[in-house]
Amino acid sequence: MKILRTIVFSLVGLIFVTPLIWMLSTSFKYENQVFEKPFVLVHWDDINFGNYRYLLTESPVLTWLSNSLIVVVVSVLCRLLFAAVTGYAFGYLRFRYANTIFLIYLAALFIPYQLSLLPQFIAFRYIGFLDTLWALIVPNIVDILSIFLMRQFFLTFPRDFIHAAYMEGSGVVRSFVRIALPLAQAPMLTLGILSFFMIWDQYYQPLIFLKSPEMFTLPLGIHSFQTQFGHEYAKQMALACIAIVPVLITFLILQKRFVESIVTAGIKG
Amino acid sequence: MDLTEVTVVETKKRRASNSHSLERAERRMGLIFAIPSFIGYSLFVALPMLFVFVLSVFKIDLMSNTITFQGMSYFDKLLHDDDFWKAFANTFKYLVIYVPLTLLLGLVMALILHSRVYLRGMIRAFFIIPYITTYIATLVVWNVFLHPTEGPVNSLLMSWGLNPPHYMVDTRWALPVLAVIGSWKDVGFHCLLFLAALQGVPRDLYEASSIDGANGLARFRHVTLPLISPTSFFLLLITIIGGLQAFYQMALLTKGGPAFSTTTLTYHIYRTAFEYYDFSYASAVGVILFLITLVLVLINWFGQKKWVFYQ
Repeated sequence: MKILRTIVFSLVGLIFVTPLIWMLSTSFKYENQVFEKPFVLVHWDDINFGNYRYLLTESPVLTWLSNSLIVVVVSVLCRLLFAAVTGYAFGYLRFRYANTIFLIYLAALFIPYQLSLLPQFIAFRYIGFLDTLWALIVPNIVDILSIFLMRQFFLTFPRDFIHAAYMEGSGVVRSFVRIALPLAQAPMLTLGILSFFMIWDQYYQPLIFLKSPEMFTLPLGIHSFQTQFGHEYAKQMALACIAIVPVLITFLILQKRFVESIVTAGIKG
Repeated sequence: MDLTEVTVVETKKRRASNSHSLERAERRMGLIFAIPSFIGYSLFVALPMLFVFVLSVFKIDLMSNTITFQGMSYFDKLLHDDDFWKAFANTFKYLVIYVPLTLLLGLVMALILHSRVYLRGMIRAFFIIPYITTYIATLVVWNVFLHPTEGPVNSLLMSWGLNPPHYMVDTRWALPVLAVIGSWKDVGFHCLLFLAALQGVPRDLYEASSIDGANGLARFRHVTLPLISPTSFFLLLITIIGGLQAFYQMALLTKGGPAFSTTTLTYHIYRTAFEYYDFSYASAVGVILFLITLVLVLINWFGQKKWVFYQ
Protein backbone atom coordinates (compact mmCIF):
# COMPACT_ATOMS: atom_id res chain seq x y z
CA MET A 1 0.00 0.00 0.00
CA LYS A 2 2.68 2.41 1.02
CA ILE A 3 4.64 1.71 -2.15
CA LEU A 4 1.59 2.09 -4.37
CA ARG A 5 0.79 5.41 -2.71
CA THR A 6 4.36 6.56 -3.16
CA ILE A 7 4.24 5.80 -6.88
CA VAL A 8 0.89 7.49 -7.46
CA PHE A 9 1.74 10.60 -5.45
CA SER A 10 5.18 10.94 -7.03
CA LEU A 11 3.51 10.85 -10.42
CA VAL A 12 1.04 13.51 -9.30
CA GLY A 13 3.96 15.64 -8.16
CA LEU A 14 5.77 15.07 -11.42
CA ILE A 15 2.73 16.10 -13.46
CA PHE A 16 2.52 19.20 -11.32
CA VAL A 17 5.98 20.35 -12.42
CA THR A 18 5.73 19.13 -16.04
CA PRO A 19 5.83 22.67 -17.49
CA LEU A 20 9.11 23.28 -15.69
CA ILE A 21 10.63 19.99 -16.82
CA TRP A 22 9.54 20.83 -20.34
CA MET A 23 11.11 24.26 -19.97
CA LEU A 24 14.45 22.75 -18.98
CA SER A 25 14.31 20.25 -21.83
CA THR A 26 13.32 22.82 -24.46
CA SER A 27 16.07 25.21 -23.44
CA PHE A 28 18.57 22.69 -24.86
CA LYS A 29 16.81 22.32 -28.19
CA TYR A 30 17.00 24.12 -31.51
CA GLU A 31 14.04 26.29 -32.44
CA ASN A 32 12.83 23.86 -35.10
CA GLN A 33 12.77 21.00 -32.57
CA VAL A 34 10.57 22.78 -30.03
CA PHE A 35 7.20 21.64 -31.29
CA GLU A 36 8.37 18.86 -33.54
CA LYS A 37 8.63 16.16 -30.90
CA PRO A 38 7.64 18.04 -27.76
CA PHE A 39 7.81 14.96 -25.57
CA VAL A 40 11.26 13.82 -26.60
CA LEU A 41 12.89 15.44 -23.62
CA VAL A 42 16.53 15.23 -24.69
CA HIS A 43 18.01 14.81 -28.14
CA TRP A 44 21.08 13.06 -26.81
CA ASP A 45 23.08 13.24 -30.00
CA ASP A 46 22.29 16.88 -30.59
CA ILE A 47 22.13 18.91 -27.39
CA ASN A 48 22.09 22.63 -28.14
CA PHE A 49 23.92 24.95 -25.76
CA GLY A 50 23.56 27.78 -28.25
CA ASN A 51 20.55 29.35 -26.52
CA TYR A 52 22.51 29.84 -23.34
CA ARG A 53 25.59 30.98 -25.20
CA TYR A 54 23.53 33.54 -27.07
CA LEU A 55 21.83 34.82 -23.92
CA LEU A 56 25.00 35.13 -21.89
CA THR A 57 27.10 36.78 -24.57
CA GLU A 58 24.83 38.67 -26.93
CA SER A 59 21.93 39.81 -24.78
CA PRO A 60 21.78 42.03 -21.68
CA VAL A 61 20.84 39.09 -19.46
CA LEU A 62 23.88 39.46 -17.24
CA THR A 63 23.06 43.14 -16.70
CA TRP A 64 19.51 42.22 -15.76
CA LEU A 65 20.79 39.53 -13.45
CA SER A 66 23.12 41.92 -11.67
CA ASN A 67 20.39 44.57 -11.41
CA SER A 68 18.12 41.98 -9.82
CA LEU A 69 20.85 40.97 -7.41
CA ILE A 70 21.58 44.57 -6.43
CA VAL A 71 17.91 45.29 -5.78
CA VAL A 72 17.41 42.09 -3.82
CA VAL A 73 20.52 42.31 -1.66
CA VAL A 74 20.19 45.99 -0.78
CA SER A 75 16.43 45.74 -0.18
CA VAL A 76 16.71 42.66 1.99
CA LEU A 77 19.50 44.05 4.16
CA CYS A 78 17.72 47.38 4.70
CA ARG A 79 14.42 45.64 5.30
CA LEU A 80 15.93 43.33 7.92
CA LEU A 81 17.55 46.18 9.83
CA PHE A 82 14.38 48.25 9.65
CA ALA A 83 12.21 45.34 10.77
CA ALA A 84 14.55 44.45 13.64
CA VAL A 85 14.68 47.98 15.04
CA THR A 86 10.93 48.42 14.71
CA GLY A 87 10.20 44.95 16.04
CA TYR A 88 12.35 45.67 19.08
CA ALA A 89 10.49 48.91 19.72
CA PHE A 90 7.06 47.31 19.50
CA GLY A 91 7.87 43.85 20.83
CA TYR A 92 10.42 44.40 23.55
CA LEU A 93 10.58 48.05 24.60
CA ARG A 94 6.81 48.49 24.29
CA PHE A 95 6.38 52.21 24.67
CA ARG A 96 3.01 53.77 25.40
CA TYR A 97 0.29 53.03 22.84
CA ALA A 98 2.68 50.67 21.08
CA ASN A 99 -0.02 48.05 20.64
CA THR A 100 -2.59 50.50 19.32
CA ILE A 101 -0.16 51.93 16.81
CA PHE A 102 0.81 48.43 15.81
CA LEU A 103 -2.78 47.53 14.99
CA ILE A 104 -2.86 50.49 12.62
CA TYR A 105 0.29 49.15 10.99
CA LEU A 106 -1.29 45.73 10.57
CA ALA A 107 -4.32 47.17 8.82
CA ALA A 108 -1.99 47.93 5.92
CA LEU A 109 -1.81 44.20 5.15
CA PHE A 110 -5.31 44.51 3.71
CA ILE A 111 -4.48 47.33 1.31
CA PRO A 112 -3.82 46.11 -2.24
CA TYR A 113 -0.19 46.96 -2.94
CA GLN A 114 -1.09 48.27 -6.40
CA LEU A 115 -2.79 51.30 -4.85
CA SER A 116 0.32 52.81 -3.30
CA LEU A 117 2.14 52.47 -6.63
CA LEU A 118 0.04 55.24 -8.19
CA PRO A 119 1.21 57.99 -5.80
CA GLN A 120 4.67 56.43 -5.69
CA PHE A 121 4.96 56.84 -9.44
CA ILE A 122 4.01 60.50 -9.25
CA ALA A 123 6.33 61.16 -6.31
CA PHE A 124 9.26 59.31 -7.89
CA ARG A 125 8.73 61.30 -11.04
CA TYR A 126 9.27 64.50 -9.07
CA ILE A 127 12.35 63.38 -7.15
CA GLY A 128 13.91 61.72 -10.19
CA PHE A 129 13.74 58.10 -9.00
CA LEU A 130 12.07 56.89 -12.18
CA ASP A 131 14.24 54.58 -14.24
CA THR A 132 16.66 54.04 -11.35
CA LEU A 133 16.98 51.04 -9.06
CA TRP A 134 16.18 53.30 -6.09
CA ALA A 135 12.55 53.24 -7.16
CA LEU A 136 12.56 49.50 -6.53
CA ILE A 137 14.70 49.41 -3.41
CA VAL A 138 13.29 52.21 -1.27
CA PRO A 139 9.64 51.06 -1.08
CA ASN A 140 10.81 47.52 -0.29
CA ILE A 141 12.40 48.61 2.97
CA VAL A 142 9.11 49.17 4.75
CA ASP A 143 7.42 45.80 4.95
CA ILE A 144 4.63 45.28 7.45
CA LEU A 145 4.82 41.50 7.48
CA SER A 146 8.53 41.62 8.32
CA ILE A 147 7.92 44.10 11.13
CA PHE A 148 5.17 41.87 12.42
CA LEU A 149 7.40 38.78 12.49
CA MET A 150 10.21 40.60 14.27
CA ARG A 151 7.78 41.99 16.81
CA GLN A 152 6.44 38.49 17.49
CA PHE A 153 9.98 37.32 18.07
CA PHE A 154 10.87 40.12 20.49
CA LEU A 155 7.60 39.77 22.41
CA THR A 156 8.91 36.59 23.99
CA PHE A 157 12.55 37.65 24.11
CA PRO A 158 14.01 36.77 27.54
CA ARG A 159 14.25 39.98 29.57
CA ASP A 160 17.01 38.56 31.75
CA PHE A 161 19.53 38.72 28.91
CA ILE A 162 18.95 42.40 28.37
CA HIS A 163 18.87 43.17 32.07
CA ALA A 164 22.20 41.43 32.47
CA ALA A 165 23.59 43.74 29.80
CA TYR A 166 22.18 46.75 31.67
CA MET A 167 23.93 45.55 34.82
CA GLU A 168 27.20 45.59 32.94
CA GLY A 169 26.54 49.19 32.04
CA SER A 170 25.15 48.92 28.52
CA GLY A 171 22.43 51.26 27.41
CA VAL A 172 19.34 50.29 25.44
CA VAL A 173 21.01 50.83 22.09
CA ARG A 174 24.10 48.87 23.00
CA SER A 175 22.20 45.96 24.48
CA PHE A 176 20.09 45.85 21.34
CA VAL A 177 23.11 45.74 19.07
CA ARG A 178 25.22 43.42 21.24
CA ILE A 179 22.62 41.05 22.67
CA ALA A 180 19.26 41.24 20.94
CA LEU A 181 20.40 41.41 17.32
CA PRO A 182 22.80 38.45 17.45
CA LEU A 183 20.16 36.34 19.19
CA ALA A 184 17.61 37.29 16.52
CA GLN A 185 19.64 35.61 13.81
CA ALA A 186 17.20 32.77 13.30
CA PRO A 187 14.08 34.83 12.58
CA MET A 188 16.13 37.28 10.56
CA LEU A 189 17.48 34.49 8.40
CA THR A 190 13.93 33.25 7.88
CA LEU A 191 12.82 36.71 6.91
CA GLY A 192 15.82 37.19 4.70
CA ILE A 193 15.09 34.04 2.71
CA LEU A 194 11.41 34.88 2.31
CA SER A 195 12.16 38.46 1.29
CA PHE A 196 14.79 37.30 -1.17
CA PHE A 197 12.26 35.14 -2.97
CA MET A 198 9.53 37.79 -2.91
CA ILE A 199 11.68 40.66 -4.16
CA TRP A 200 13.36 38.49 -6.80
CA ASP A 201 9.87 37.83 -8.14
CA GLN A 202 8.72 41.46 -8.31
CA TYR A 203 7.51 42.53 -11.71
CA TYR A 204 4.85 45.23 -11.38
CA GLN A 205 7.23 47.78 -9.84
CA PRO A 206 9.96 47.42 -12.49
CA LEU A 207 7.28 47.40 -15.17
CA ILE A 208 6.07 50.87 -14.25
CA PHE A 209 9.23 52.45 -12.84
CA LEU A 210 11.87 51.37 -15.36
CA LYS A 211 12.22 52.44 -18.98
CA SER A 212 15.72 51.73 -20.24
CA PRO A 213 16.70 48.10 -20.88
CA GLU A 214 20.01 48.47 -19.06
CA MET A 215 18.08 49.17 -15.85
CA PHE A 216 15.75 46.18 -16.13
CA THR A 217 15.60 43.51 -13.50
CA LEU A 218 15.32 39.90 -14.59
CA PRO A 219 11.50 39.55 -14.58
CA LEU A 220 11.11 42.68 -16.67
CA GLY A 221 13.94 41.54 -18.91
CA ILE A 222 12.13 38.26 -19.48
CA HIS A 223 8.99 40.18 -20.40
CA SER A 224 10.79 42.43 -22.87
CA PHE A 225 12.64 39.47 -24.34
CA GLN A 226 9.35 37.69 -24.88
CA THR A 227 7.87 40.66 -26.71
CA GLN A 228 10.98 41.07 -28.81
CA PHE A 229 11.67 37.43 -29.68
CA GLY A 230 8.07 36.24 -29.75
CA HIS A 231 8.72 33.08 -31.72
CA GLU A 232 12.12 32.04 -30.46
CA TYR A 233 10.69 29.76 -27.86
CA ALA A 234 13.82 27.77 -27.07
CA LYS A 235 15.66 30.97 -26.18
CA GLN A 236 12.75 32.09 -24.01
CA MET A 237 12.89 28.79 -22.16
CA ALA A 238 16.63 29.16 -21.65
CA LEU A 239 16.07 32.63 -20.22
CA ALA A 240 13.34 31.31 -17.93
CA CYS A 241 15.80 28.66 -16.75
CA ILE A 242 18.43 31.28 -16.00
CA ALA A 243 15.89 33.11 -13.83
CA ILE A 244 14.63 30.01 -12.08
CA VAL A 245 17.78 27.99 -11.52
CA PRO A 246 19.37 30.27 -8.88
CA VAL A 247 16.21 30.30 -6.77
CA LEU A 248 15.67 26.61 -7.32
CA ILE A 249 19.17 25.73 -6.14
CA THR A 250 18.83 28.02 -3.12
CA PHE A 251 15.55 26.34 -2.37
CA LEU A 252 16.84 22.78 -2.71
CA ILE A 253 19.80 23.51 -0.44
CA LEU A 254 17.75 25.33 2.16
CA GLN A 255 14.60 23.28 1.68
CA LYS A 256 14.07 22.39 5.30
CA ARG A 257 14.80 25.86 6.57
CA PHE A 258 12.69 27.36 3.80
CA VAL A 259 9.67 25.20 4.57
CA GLU A 260 9.96 26.13 8.22
CA SER A 261 10.19 29.81 7.37
CA ILE A 262 7.07 29.76 5.21
CA VAL A 263 5.19 27.93 7.91
CA THR A 264 6.27 30.25 10.73
CA ALA A 265 5.68 33.33 8.61
CA GLY A 266 2.30 32.00 7.56
CA ILE A 267 1.13 30.94 10.97
CA LYS A 268 2.27 34.08 12.69
CA GLY A 269 1.27 36.30 9.81
CA MET B 1 22.06 56.83 24.73
CA ASP B 2 23.96 58.80 27.35
CA LEU B 3 20.77 59.48 29.20
CA THR B 4 19.94 55.80 29.39
CA GLU B 5 23.47 55.02 30.36
CA VAL B 6 23.02 57.27 33.36
CA THR B 7 19.68 55.70 34.20
CA VAL B 8 21.22 52.29 34.03
CA VAL B 9 24.04 53.23 36.35
CA GLU B 10 21.51 54.62 38.79
CA THR B 11 19.51 51.48 38.54
CA LYS B 12 22.56 49.48 39.33
CA LYS B 13 23.02 51.47 42.53
CA ARG B 14 19.48 51.23 43.73
CA ARG B 15 18.78 47.76 42.34
CA ALA B 16 15.34 46.29 42.81
CA SER B 17 13.73 49.35 44.32
CA ASN B 18 13.45 51.03 40.95
CA SER B 19 12.72 48.67 38.10
CA HIS B 20 10.33 51.56 37.52
CA SER B 21 12.82 54.01 36.12
CA LEU B 22 14.35 51.24 34.03
CA GLU B 23 11.02 50.59 32.45
CA ARG B 24 10.55 54.27 31.83
CA ALA B 25 13.92 54.50 30.14
CA GLU B 26 13.06 51.53 27.96
CA ARG B 27 9.79 53.09 26.95
CA ARG B 28 11.43 56.36 26.09
CA MET B 29 13.99 54.55 23.94
CA GLY B 30 11.18 52.47 22.47
CA LEU B 31 9.65 55.59 21.06
CA ILE B 32 12.98 56.54 19.53
CA PHE B 33 13.40 53.05 18.08
CA ALA B 34 9.96 53.36 16.54
CA ILE B 35 10.65 56.69 14.81
CA PRO B 36 11.97 55.15 11.56
CA SER B 37 8.81 53.09 11.30
CA PHE B 38 6.62 56.17 11.86
CA ILE B 39 8.38 57.86 8.98
CA GLY B 40 8.41 54.78 6.77
CA TYR B 41 4.79 53.97 7.44
CA SER B 42 3.67 57.52 6.73
CA LEU B 43 5.68 57.79 3.55
CA PHE B 44 4.95 54.40 2.07
CA VAL B 45 1.59 53.38 3.48
CA ALA B 46 -0.50 56.14 5.05
CA LEU B 47 0.28 59.06 2.75
CA PRO B 48 0.01 57.08 -0.49
CA MET B 49 -3.33 55.69 0.68
CA LEU B 50 -4.55 59.18 1.52
CA PHE B 51 -3.20 60.41 -1.77
CA VAL B 52 -5.13 57.76 -3.70
CA PHE B 53 -8.33 59.05 -2.15
CA VAL B 54 -7.32 62.62 -2.98
CA LEU B 55 -6.34 61.68 -6.52
CA SER B 56 -9.73 60.14 -7.10
CA VAL B 57 -11.45 63.51 -6.65
CA PHE B 58 -8.88 65.68 -8.40
CA LYS B 59 -7.70 65.76 -11.97
CA ILE B 60 -3.91 65.73 -12.21
CA ASP B 61 -2.25 66.62 -15.47
CA LEU B 62 1.32 65.32 -15.43
CA MET B 63 2.27 67.29 -18.51
CA SER B 64 1.25 70.75 -17.35
CA ASN B 65 1.42 69.93 -13.62
CA THR B 66 -2.04 71.32 -12.98
CA ILE B 67 -4.57 70.08 -10.47
CA THR B 68 -8.29 70.71 -10.62
CA PHE B 69 -11.00 69.58 -8.26
CA GLN B 70 -13.47 67.17 -9.81
CA GLY B 71 -15.63 66.08 -6.91
CA MET B 72 -17.28 62.73 -7.41
CA SER B 73 -17.19 63.00 -11.17
CA TYR B 74 -14.66 60.19 -11.59
CA PHE B 75 -16.82 57.82 -9.60
CA ASP B 76 -19.79 58.92 -11.60
CA LYS B 77 -17.92 58.30 -14.85
CA LEU B 78 -16.75 54.95 -13.59
CA LEU B 79 -20.18 53.71 -12.59
CA HIS B 80 -21.42 54.46 -16.11
CA ASP B 81 -18.43 52.85 -17.73
CA ASP B 82 -19.00 49.44 -19.30
CA ASP B 83 -15.29 48.65 -19.10
CA PHE B 84 -15.33 49.13 -15.35
CA TRP B 85 -18.27 46.77 -14.89
CA LYS B 86 -16.67 44.16 -17.12
CA ALA B 87 -13.47 44.37 -15.07
CA PHE B 88 -15.57 44.17 -11.91
CA ALA B 89 -17.31 41.01 -13.14
CA ASN B 90 -14.02 39.48 -14.32
CA THR B 91 -12.47 40.05 -10.92
CA PHE B 92 -15.21 38.03 -9.27
CA LYS B 93 -15.12 35.34 -11.93
CA TYR B 94 -11.43 34.99 -11.25
CA LEU B 95 -12.03 34.76 -7.51
CA VAL B 96 -14.78 32.17 -7.88
CA ILE B 97 -12.35 29.82 -9.63
CA TYR B 98 -9.10 30.75 -7.96
CA VAL B 99 -10.12 30.75 -4.30
CA PRO B 100 -11.87 27.36 -3.98
CA LEU B 101 -9.43 25.66 -6.34
CA THR B 102 -6.36 26.86 -4.44
CA LEU B 103 -7.79 25.97 -1.05
CA LEU B 104 -9.01 22.54 -2.12
CA LEU B 105 -5.84 21.66 -4.01
CA GLY B 106 -3.71 22.86 -1.11
CA LEU B 107 -5.63 20.71 1.34
CA VAL B 108 -5.46 17.62 -0.89
CA MET B 109 -1.73 18.08 -1.39
CA ALA B 110 -1.22 18.50 2.35
CA LEU B 111 -3.21 15.31 2.98
CA ILE B 112 -1.00 13.49 0.48
CA LEU B 113 2.12 14.66 2.30
CA HIS B 114 0.54 13.78 5.64
CA SER B 115 -0.26 10.20 4.59
CA ARG B 116 2.11 7.27 5.04
CA VAL B 117 4.35 7.54 2.00
CA TYR B 118 7.99 7.11 1.03
CA LEU B 119 9.99 9.93 -0.59
CA ARG B 120 7.99 12.56 1.24
CA GLY B 121 10.71 15.17 0.85
CA MET B 122 10.79 14.72 -2.91
CA ILE B 123 7.02 14.89 -3.34
CA ARG B 124 6.91 17.96 -1.13
CA ALA B 125 9.60 19.60 -3.27
CA PHE B 126 7.53 18.93 -6.41
CA PHE B 127 4.51 20.54 -4.78
CA ILE B 128 6.20 23.73 -3.69
CA ILE B 129 8.59 24.30 -6.58
CA PRO B 130 6.06 26.39 -8.58
CA TYR B 131 5.51 28.57 -5.51
CA ILE B 132 9.19 29.43 -5.15
CA THR B 133 10.11 29.81 -8.82
CA THR B 134 10.14 33.18 -10.55
CA TYR B 135 6.56 33.92 -11.56
CA ILE B 136 7.27 35.71 -14.82
CA ALA B 137 9.59 32.93 -15.95
CA THR B 138 6.92 30.29 -15.33
CA LEU B 139 4.40 32.40 -17.25
CA VAL B 140 6.68 32.50 -20.27
CA VAL B 141 6.76 28.72 -20.05
CA TRP B 142 2.98 28.44 -19.77
CA ASN B 143 2.64 30.70 -22.78
CA VAL B 144 4.47 28.18 -24.97
CA PHE B 145 3.20 25.11 -23.14
CA LEU B 146 -0.41 26.10 -23.85
CA HIS B 147 0.24 27.35 -27.37
CA PRO B 148 -3.17 26.85 -29.05
CA THR B 149 -2.08 24.97 -32.16
CA GLU B 150 1.47 23.73 -31.62
CA GLY B 151 1.97 23.59 -27.85
CA PRO B 152 2.73 20.22 -26.26
CA VAL B 153 -0.58 20.08 -24.36
CA ASN B 154 -2.74 20.65 -27.38
CA SER B 155 -0.67 18.57 -29.76
CA LEU B 156 -1.05 15.70 -27.31
CA LEU B 157 -4.80 16.24 -27.03
CA MET B 158 -5.14 16.53 -30.79
CA SER B 159 -3.17 13.33 -31.31
CA TRP B 160 -5.89 11.67 -29.22
CA GLY B 161 -8.43 12.98 -31.68
CA LEU B 162 -9.77 15.67 -29.36
CA ASN B 163 -10.55 19.24 -30.29
CA PRO B 164 -8.92 21.19 -27.46
CA PRO B 165 -9.74 24.81 -26.59
CA HIS B 166 -7.42 27.62 -27.58
CA TYR B 167 -6.93 28.74 -23.98
CA MET B 168 -5.51 32.26 -23.84
CA VAL B 169 -6.95 33.41 -27.17
CA ASP B 170 -10.48 32.18 -26.48
CA THR B 171 -12.70 34.64 -24.61
CA ARG B 172 -14.47 31.85 -22.72
CA TRP B 173 -11.31 30.03 -21.67
CA ALA B 174 -8.78 32.80 -21.08
CA LEU B 175 -9.85 33.89 -17.59
CA PRO B 176 -10.35 30.37 -16.17
CA VAL B 177 -6.97 29.34 -17.56
CA LEU B 178 -5.30 32.33 -15.91
CA ALA B 179 -7.03 31.48 -12.63
CA VAL B 180 -5.80 27.88 -12.81
CA ILE B 181 -2.26 29.05 -13.54
CA GLY B 182 -2.56 31.38 -10.53
CA SER B 183 -3.60 28.43 -8.37
CA TRP B 184 -0.79 26.29 -9.70
CA LYS B 185 1.69 29.01 -8.78
CA ASP B 186 0.39 29.77 -5.29
CA VAL B 187 -0.85 26.45 -3.99
CA GLY B 188 2.51 25.38 -2.54
CA PHE B 189 2.08 27.94 0.21
CA HIS B 190 -1.38 26.64 1.06
CA CYS B 191 -0.10 23.09 1.01
CA LEU B 192 2.63 23.87 3.54
CA LEU B 193 0.32 25.70 5.92
CA PHE B 194 -2.34 23.01 5.75
CA LEU B 195 0.37 20.42 6.36
CA ALA B 196 1.56 22.27 9.46
CA ALA B 197 -2.03 22.42 10.69
CA LEU B 198 -2.59 18.71 10.06
CA GLN B 199 0.57 17.87 11.96
CA GLY B 200 -0.75 19.94 14.83
CA VAL B 201 -3.84 17.79 15.29
CA PRO B 202 -3.26 15.75 18.45
CA ARG B 203 -3.00 12.02 17.79
CA ASP B 204 -5.08 10.99 20.80
CA LEU B 205 -8.09 12.75 19.31
CA TYR B 206 -7.94 10.43 16.31
CA GLU B 207 -7.54 7.44 18.58
CA ALA B 208 -10.47 8.52 20.71
CA SER B 209 -12.68 8.95 17.67
CA SER B 210 -11.63 5.54 16.31
CA ILE B 211 -12.68 3.96 19.57
CA ASP B 212 -16.01 5.75 19.19
CA GLY B 213 -16.33 3.93 15.88
CA ALA B 214 -15.84 6.82 13.49
CA ASN B 215 -14.54 5.78 10.07
CA GLY B 216 -11.93 7.67 8.06
CA LEU B 217 -14.31 10.08 6.39
CA ALA B 218 -16.23 10.87 9.54
CA ARG B 219 -12.98 11.40 11.37
CA PHE B 220 -11.86 13.83 8.69
CA ARG B 221 -15.12 15.76 8.86
CA HIS B 222 -15.59 15.86 12.59
CA VAL B 223 -12.04 15.89 13.91
CA THR B 224 -9.61 17.11 11.26
CA LEU B 225 -11.63 19.82 9.54
CA PRO B 226 -12.70 21.64 12.71
CA LEU B 227 -9.21 21.45 14.15
CA ILE B 228 -7.55 22.95 11.10
CA SER B 229 -10.28 25.55 10.62
CA PRO B 230 -8.22 28.47 11.99
CA THR B 231 -5.64 27.76 9.28
CA SER B 232 -8.37 27.39 6.67
CA PHE B 233 -9.78 30.73 7.71
CA PHE B 234 -6.43 32.46 7.54
CA LEU B 235 -5.75 30.94 4.13
CA LEU B 236 -9.19 31.92 2.89
CA LEU B 237 -8.46 35.57 3.75
CA ILE B 238 -4.99 35.45 2.18
CA THR B 239 -6.35 33.80 -0.96
CA ILE B 240 -9.15 36.33 -1.40
CA ILE B 241 -6.78 39.25 -0.94
CA GLY B 242 -4.23 37.66 -3.27
CA GLY B 243 -6.88 36.79 -5.87
CA LEU B 244 -8.12 40.38 -5.95
CA GLN B 245 -4.58 41.49 -6.73
CA ALA B 246 -3.84 38.99 -9.51
CA PHE B 247 -1.93 40.83 -12.19
CA TYR B 248 1.10 38.98 -13.54
CA GLN B 249 -0.80 36.51 -15.73
CA MET B 250 -2.84 39.26 -17.37
CA ALA B 251 0.19 41.47 -17.90
CA LEU B 252 2.34 38.80 -19.46
CA LEU B 253 -0.05 36.36 -21.11
CA THR B 254 -3.16 38.18 -22.30
CA LYS B 255 -2.77 41.96 -21.85
CA GLY B 256 -6.31 41.92 -20.52
CA GLY B 257 -7.70 40.41 -23.71
CA PRO B 258 -9.01 38.81 -25.81
CA ALA B 259 -11.85 41.29 -26.03
CA PHE B 260 -11.42 42.52 -22.44
CA SER B 261 -12.18 39.03 -21.11
CA THR B 262 -9.23 38.95 -18.71
CA THR B 263 -9.19 42.59 -17.65
CA THR B 264 -9.67 42.49 -13.90
CA LEU B 265 -9.82 45.59 -11.71
CA THR B 266 -6.07 45.48 -11.02
CA TYR B 267 -5.29 45.23 -14.71
CA HIS B 268 -7.78 48.00 -15.42
CA ILE B 269 -5.96 50.19 -12.89
CA TYR B 270 -2.64 49.42 -14.53
CA ARG B 271 -3.89 50.20 -18.00
CA THR B 272 -5.65 53.44 -17.18
CA ALA B 273 -2.78 54.71 -15.04
CA PHE B 274 0.32 53.60 -16.89
CA GLU B 275 -0.87 53.33 -20.46
CA TYR B 276 -3.40 56.17 -20.62
CA TYR B 277 -1.86 58.16 -17.75
CA ASP B 278 -5.29 58.81 -16.28
CA PHE B 279 -4.23 58.59 -12.66
CA SER B 280 -7.45 59.96 -11.26
CA TYR B 281 -9.65 57.42 -12.96
CA ALA B 282 -7.21 54.68 -11.92
CA SER B 283 -7.31 55.94 -8.34
CA ALA B 284 -11.09 55.89 -8.36
CA VAL B 285 -10.97 52.24 -9.47
CA GLY B 286 -8.36 51.68 -6.78
CA VAL B 287 -10.64 53.09 -4.11
CA ILE B 288 -13.35 50.68 -5.27
CA LEU B 289 -10.89 47.77 -5.19
CA PHE B 290 -9.92 48.74 -1.66
CA LEU B 291 -13.58 48.84 -0.61
CA ILE B 292 -14.21 45.42 -2.16
CA THR B 293 -11.24 43.98 -0.26
CA LEU B 294 -12.50 45.55 2.94
CA VAL B 295 -16.04 44.24 2.51
CA LEU B 296 -14.90 40.70 1.67
CA VAL B 297 -12.53 40.63 4.63
CA LEU B 298 -15.22 41.92 6.98
CA ILE B 299 -17.81 39.42 5.72
CA ASN B 300 -15.40 36.58 6.38
CA TRP B 301 -14.32 38.03 9.68
CA PHE B 302 -17.86 37.98 10.98
CA GLY B 303 -18.71 34.77 9.16
CA GLN B 304 -15.90 32.86 10.86
CA LYS B 305 -17.91 32.37 14.06
CA LYS B 306 -20.05 29.90 12.16
CA TRP B 307 -17.29 27.52 11.17
CA VAL B 308 -13.94 28.40 12.70
CA PHE B 309 -13.16 26.46 15.83
CA TYR B 310 -10.51 27.81 18.19
CA GLN B 311 -9.20 25.38 20.75
